Amino acid sequence: MHSTGLNTNQIMRQVIYALILGVSASYIFFGWGVVIQILLGVISALAVESIFVALRGRKVVESISDGSAVLTGILLAISIPAIAPWWVVVVGVAFAIIFGKQLYGGLGNNPFNPAMLGYAFLLISYPLQMTTWPADFLSFNQAIEVIFQLLYFDGLSGATRLDDVKTSLSLGRELTTLQIHSSAQAWINAGFLIGGMYLLARKIISWHIPMAFLSGILIMAVLISMFDSQQHLPIQNHLMLGGTMLGAFFIATDPISASTTPKGRLIYGFLIGVMIVIIRTFGGYPEGVAFAVLLLNMMVPLIDYYTQPKVFGRS
Amino acid sequence: MLSKGFSGGVIIDNPYPVDQVDIIQAPLPSRVVLPLQQRMGEEAKPCIEIGDKVLTGQIIAQTEDIFCVPIHASISGTVVSIDQQLIPHKSGLKSNCITIESDGQDEWIDTQGCGSDFLHCDRQTMIDYIQQSGIVGLGGAGFPSHAKLHKALDCHTLIINGTECEPGVMCDDALMQNYPREVIRGVEILLHITGAQKAIIAIEDDKQEAYQSLLMFNHNSRIELVQIPTKYTSGAEKLLIKALLDIEISSGGFAADKGVVCQNVSSTKAIYDAVIEKRPLVSRIVTVSGNALAPINVEVRLGASFDHIISLAKVNNKEHDYRMGGMMMGVDIESTSLPICKITNCIFVNNKTIKPQPKECIRCGNCNIACPVGLLPQQLYWHAKSENIDKCMNYNLMDCIECACCNYVCPSDIDLVNYFSFAKALHKKQTLDQHRIDIARERFEFREHRLERNKRERSEMMAAKKKALKEKMAKDKDKGNTQKDKIAQAMARIKKTKEDNA
Repeated sequence: MHSTGLNTNQIMRQVIYALILGVSASYIFFGWGVVIQILLGVISALAVESIFVALRGRKVVESISDGSAVLTGILLAISIPAIAPWWVVVVGVAFAIIFGKQLYGGLGNNPFNPAMLGYAFLLISYPLQMTTWPADFLSFNQAIEVIFQLLYFDGLSGATRLDDVKTSLSLGRELTTLQIHSSAQAWINAGFLIGGMYLLARKIISWHIPMAFLSGILIMAVLISMFDSQQHLPIQNHLMLGGTMLGAFFIATDPISASTTPKGRLIYGFLIGVMIVIIRTFGGYPEGVAFAVLLLNMMVPLIDYYTQPKVFGRS
Repeated sequence: MLSKGFSGGVIIDNPYPVDQVDIIQAPLPSRVVLPLQQRMGEEAKPCIEIGDKVLTGQIIAQTEDIFCVPIHASISGTVVSIDQQLIPHKSGLKSNCITIESDGQDEWIDTQGCGSDFLHCDRQTMIDYIQQSGIVGLGGAGFPSHAKLHKALDCHTLIINGTECEPGVMCDDALMQNYPREVIRGVEILLHITGAQKAIIAIEDDKQEAYQSLLMFNHNSRIELVQIPTKYTSGAEKLLIKALLDIEISSGGFAADKGVVCQNVSSTKAIYDAVIEKRPLVSRIVTVSGNALAPINVEVRLGASFDHIISLAKVNNKEHDYRMGGMMMGVDIESTSLPICKITNCIFVNNKTIKPQPKECIRCGNCNIACPVGLLPQQLYWHAKSENIDKCMNYNLMDCIECACCNYVCPSDIDLVNYFSFAKALHKKQTLDQHRIDIARERFEFREHRLERNKRERSEMMAAKKKALKEKMAKDKDKGNTQKDKIAQAMARIKKTKEDNA
């Protein structure tokens, strides 16, 4: 292989750059809330990381400059609704960095994806705030007012498409009568897909996890639709709704919490894809990326152990 | 021709490319320092004394160890000292060396060899010549050539390793370009010794000039020239065999087990010198490279100091970092007054830079892909760091060839190989300790067993004695009974007599 010529800090920076397209799409549809959430996420990530690194007696500047805290902040901020109150992202990021990373010994030692740990924590603790998305583009002032709760604001919010469909289906409505397509979600997913392609091209991530992840979703979605196509989401919607592309290229590929062997990565990615569809279809939550990733994070040591490559000269 | 190759390895362009690969003949050094300790085996014993006059090519130290070759004077002159000196080794330790002051004459000793008519010499004689000429693997490993040839009784293919062992090293390239005839003749000698059907000279595909010059001199149908992709660790013997013949030498096994013999191309030329020119190995070609000078290849007498050849290159006058043995597997050195050894293939002189500080491992897995022997360096690092040697063994630590491909691709600049060699050393120590413990335990257990046995034997003996005594007593009792009876009878008789008397 060739060397990528990038060091760890540069890799983190490249991943952040690759998020720009998806984030821009998100901004176009949901407005300034997206940007404000990211700023809140980054600032709180840097603050919490600095405090904890200092408490652990390590070098603060070195730790901050590796970019991993910033990345966690951004990933969590773009996962939560753009109109969530300011303290949601702050609490989530603090939880992600403290319990997801620093308590395990900092960068490289965390078994779970910190951003997804923070997300799962928020989803369980504040389900209402975590599932209310803006229904329209919000101006800067509107966003500030909503996020900092200067004004109670209702008219512009709604559930996500996945949430909506799930609720309707559970009420016994026919799939054909529902609006399941969401161009906003499709564009955002497309943005992250292109960003992911960039990471692949720069060889910052390998193809194994995203490929296996998307095949897992595809195969599971096909299997389920073969049994009952009326009550479940069509395949293309599984791929282009929710956090599918963000999960495939940016979340599941987090090398620290993923499997490291080539074969292991295929298994890891595939099972995440399968779990996502299972959670979306049969689970209590509309979206399953975070839980699927966390579940598979737990299985990584096992997967790694049983997928060791053949050593030269040994049978 | 190229079958499957091996997975892993890294592609690194020559960091210090040169247009023309010439060989500069270094002037005769005024003094040489020749270490007595070789790559393996025991230290050679000097067979000259301080003050003795020696001739070039004269044996000045040797040992009975079959894995060793004798040490030759590389210049003619006077032995001035036999003492501890710094040698080019990663330990940075001193070792016993013979120092010779040159007389400037370079007077050669009369040596033995087969001459150009080598076909009449038998195998063993030629192997002996090769040993007596001090030839070892010149690629960097320093494995004695005669030991390899000795093992090669049933050999079908001879591989001549013309791949440069490391990026940036050009000494083999220079040798093939400048001595193609000698190399081909050397291969013919090796074919004769091993009895192999064919020989393959493996050359990397970025060395077209070397390939062309060998092609021009090769008129032997049993010798085939093969170009292989330029990829680092292709030069590693087992991986080269895999790439050329698709034969995988098992872990811990030898190439000779599968009927393959591998020789470095410089060693092959040295074998030509020894057998035909009757000249022992007293010089080698060294690449002097780096970004602080214009790279050169120098043919220099063994034992000359690094400084002696560095001064031949146009070195800038900034501060420098020095490294020997190559950018990947080499060692950083502090001093350049070290002597050039048979395994000194290159010296790098670079402008001083600050090395990047290692960061945390982010488990990116690049090292897993780069590892040419299929190990998981990332997992090994984790376990080596926590000194969990048993786990390291589970992950086949001992198969690591320390090629440093993992270091090269690591985005966190972790010196993985350093951890691995540390873990290997720890394993060695633990095994040794365990061995000692085992011996002590066995000894203790045997003592316990012996005491127990003595006790048992003693008690058995006592029991037997007791039994014998009892039996005797019982017998005696029987006897006693008869006696008692007799006494009783006697008493009765007395009584009777008394009564009769009365």
